[in-house]
Amino acid sequence: MAYSFDFGLVVSGEYGEWLRQGLLTTLHISAISIVGSLLLGTLVAVLRLSRITPLVWGSAAFTEFFRNTPLLVQIFFWYFGSYSVLPDFVNQWLYQRDFEFAAGVIALTVYTAAFIAEDIRSGVFAIPKTQLEASRATGLSFLQAMRYVILPQAFRIIIPPLISQFLNLVKNSSLVMAVGVMELTYMARQIEAYTFHGLEAFTVSTLMYLSISLVISFAVNMYNKRVLKIAPR
Amino acid sequence: MRKIVKLLAISLAMLVLAAPAFAGKLESIKAAGVLKAGVKDSQVPFGYVDEKTSKIVGFEIDLVQALADKLGVKLDVKPVTSATRIPMLTQGDIDIIAATMTHKKEREDQIDFSITYFQTGQKLLVKKDGGVKSVADLAGKKVGSAKGSTSEQNVKKAQPECTVVSFETYPEAFLALKQGKVQAVTTDESILLGLKNSDEKPGDYEIVGEYISPEPYGLGLVENDSDFRDFVNLTLMELWETGKFQAMYNKWFGEDTPNYIPLNWQMELWP
Repeated sequence: MAYSFDFGLVVSGEYGEWLRQGLLTTLHISAISIVGSLLLGTLVAVLRLSRITPLVWGSAAFTEFFRNTPLLVQIFFWYFGSYSVLPDFVNQWLYQRDFEFAAGVIALTVYTAAFIAEDIRSGVFAIPKTQLEASRATGLSFLQAMRYVILPQAFRIIIPPLISQFLNLVKNSSLVMAVGVMELTYMARQIEAYTFHGLEAFTVSTLMYLSISLVISFAVNMYNKRVLKIAPR
Repeated sequence: MRKIVKLLAISLAMLVLAAPAFAGKLESIKAAGVLKAGVKDSQVPFGYVDEKTSKIVGFEIDLVQALADKLGVKLDVKPVTSATRIPMLTQGDIDIIAATMTHKKEREDQIDFSITYFQTGQKLLVKKDGGVKSVADLAGKKVGSAKGSTSEQNVKKAQPECTVVSFETYPEAFLALKQGKVQAVTTDESILLGLKNSDEKPGDYEIVGEYISPEPYGLGLVENDSDFRDFVNLTLMELWETGKFQAMYNKWFGEDTPNYIPLNWQMELWP
């Protein structure tokens, strides 16, 4: 007996609605985490470059710890592990809210920020050192020099690896279903459980991930070309 | 070219004609001398690995053993998961599924089911002092469950005001209950009993509420094989009528076992 394909089942009606909800959750959690990880990653990179020893060590430890441990473990850590660390009333307050989603955002943000910090650092290294010295000589502080001179140039250089990090983040977001966030992969699994038509559900969700990724890379590339006027090399 | 087409057409026609002759599961099992059953290997007491013998034992294993005995063939059990059991059956890796599978209408278009051999229902596992006594108390609260199960939608229907959090496995859902992240865990009563008994202090938890939904378990069979389905159904009825089924049931769910569930339902018996 062969497997009978039925794509109508998973793209319309109740199950279609599940996939749509899952897609929205995936977009939601990815969008927040992309913005968060870019900000946190920039901060960590600047601290690492600050030449203030405790800050350098702290940011180096952050980077090495979070990019060298499995994301799934980190998700469990934020979700289950926080229970024994935080005081009881904080836990109670958190559990009244959507803590599953929050733990997922924190895990994705921190994990991706560690990678982004390294990308930014390598971008900054690509800018000649004399630029920083020259800007400091004109009277800019370290942070001002970073903000107005170094980082704007560094970001242009690191846009391709940055896109990769964002795409990874979108795909990694499928792991947060481990703590019960109902995103796209979760919904595909759920459809499989209910109907045994898992192949269709996973095909559709794969196409959705592919579309999100292509839209992100297209958008960033267009921004490069049109706004920043960087021609692809 | 024409010759090849002709050859292809003939072989195709032979395949089509020959297929039904080989399709009978009953004959192929007898010819092989072995009944291959897909079972759970971590679901006490339905199917789990016995600590002493390292063999898979359980209520469902006894059940398929009875079928194998009736056929006069050997039994070969293979562990399956919720995700693998259907493909393994349709590809012929196993002949029958006995893996706590709820008989649902939606599942009918991939496989066939036997008559019901176990009747349970979805309930709630809660902390004793947690203030949840029934589904009605779940309004505005979080309920834990496991993915791949049908418990989630059922509890949503019974209490639309609750939030369901689905984990990979039931032990994780139970951990979330212990930490206070969810106020209840919901699934089949038989599985909740196993969870409760796995804790160091089972007395701190209790199973409450009315059945949220009926969960009739059926044996999974290859689609459109009437002879085999008849054999399985008639054998199940015979086991019930001769009292063998009840003996098997009491061995795993009887009063003096930790997983006591009274046998308060009747098997569908055809006159």
